[in-house]
Amino acid sequence: MLPENITAVVSRNERWRGEAASEPYEAGWAREAIFFVRALKQPVGPIATAWVEVSPDGMHWLREGTEFPMPKERDAVAMARLAHFGNWLRVAARFDSGAECTVLVTLHLKA
Amino acid sequence: MKNQTPDQTGDLTEAMRLALLRADPALSRFDPLPRILSFDNFARGHCGWSQLVGNYEDDLDTMLPGYAQHTSAMLSTLAHWDAGSHGGMDSSYALKIATRPVAGARNVAIKRHTFRKRGPIRFEIYFTFKPEANTLKLSETDVRSVGLLFDLQGGDQDGNNDRVMPHLRFLNALDGQHLQKWQYKRETERITPIGTDNKTISHYHLSPEGWVDLPGGSQRLCYNEIPTKVNWTYLCFDFDLATMTALGLRCNDRSFDLSGFDSIRIPAMKNLWCMLNFGLFAETDVAKRAFLYVDSICISGDF
Repeated sequence: MLPENITAVVSRNERWRGEAASEPYEAGWAREAIFFVRALKQPVGPIATAWVEVSPDGMHWLREGTEFPMPKERDAVAMARLAHFGNWLRVAARFDSGAECTVLVTLHLKA
Repeated sequence: MKNQTPDQTGDLTEAMRLALLRADPALSRFDPLPRILSFDNFARGHCGWSQLVGNYEDDLDTMLPGYAQHTSAMLSTLAHWDAGSHGGMDSSYALKIATRPVAGARNVAIKRHTFRKRGPIRFEIYFTFKPEANTLKLSETDVRSVGLLFDLQGGDQDGNNDRVMPHLRFLNALDGQHLQKWQYKRETERITPIGTDNKTISHYHLSPEGWVDLPGGSQRLCYNEIPTKVNWTYLCFDFDLATMTALGLRCNDRSFDLSGFDSIRIPAMKNLWCMLNFGLFAETDVAKRAFLYVDSICISGDF
């Protein structure tokens, strides 16, 4: 049987400002993951830094260590590759006051 | 060998079918009709259960807000902070449909087929539901409901035709009241044109309004004693595509009279002929995620 893989849309057309994060996603069956973050609209203000978070329970979150700049313009795509993450995954970002980005966050998992 | 009458041959065929089903550990807990359309065991992946995405044109902002909140279902071992992975009935995995942590939030997973013949369809699942276990409380009224829907339309040569959408939910709680009853729905929201090309419309058929109690539909399910203990529950919904009427609802040891049941009915749409869609959803009553877990699903028909 072919190894399982899935594309999950975890945030679609969400306007991220201030403290933002994608909804928790369980991916314990997967050996590898990539988050893609696409700006659906022209970002406003300084470009924020995003990072990947892991969790023991889907409720308590800590940084996995991977960071990346949010996309700089409309339709630009940022990504983070992961190979060791346990079960729970999400992307988080912090925006300066007045800054924002409308995002499409997809998670690509492979067994 | 003696000649057998057609009735005797039919009886023997059915007896053999049942014997094979009952000897199969994967299917034995189901009562499928003669043809199995799909058998979903979530240790084999998502099995075609995808996110119900709303319609749009040109800009995602045209998507109705009810749909915009939906996210992708996931494969879960029901991992809990206090007891670890609960697991499914005979594998580690279940399909998990999670709402956002906003009172009244909802999420829907959908499986999209078409049908070959208008006849009886049976939808059987083993499911359970829980809120996110972020408080050390029983939290039995935090999940508002879990439910299922079909989205159906006859063939293009069938003449007068409706799009028919049977909806059923187990209303666990509403505004903190523990109600525990089955409900159905006959009305959708108004149909909204999407975009400017006159090709796409949308209507949010899962709005909170319009749910009606199923007569005799009260049922106390097994919830267990803390928010991280779960028990799998059997549900079977029978629907006839020929008459577009519901035939039966069974949940564990209870069988419900559906003579008062009706579906949402709207005019047929120009791109949906022979549509046979199945949806599963969860709703939260409080600002806490609600989770619908599905161990396995068997969809069968008589054709």
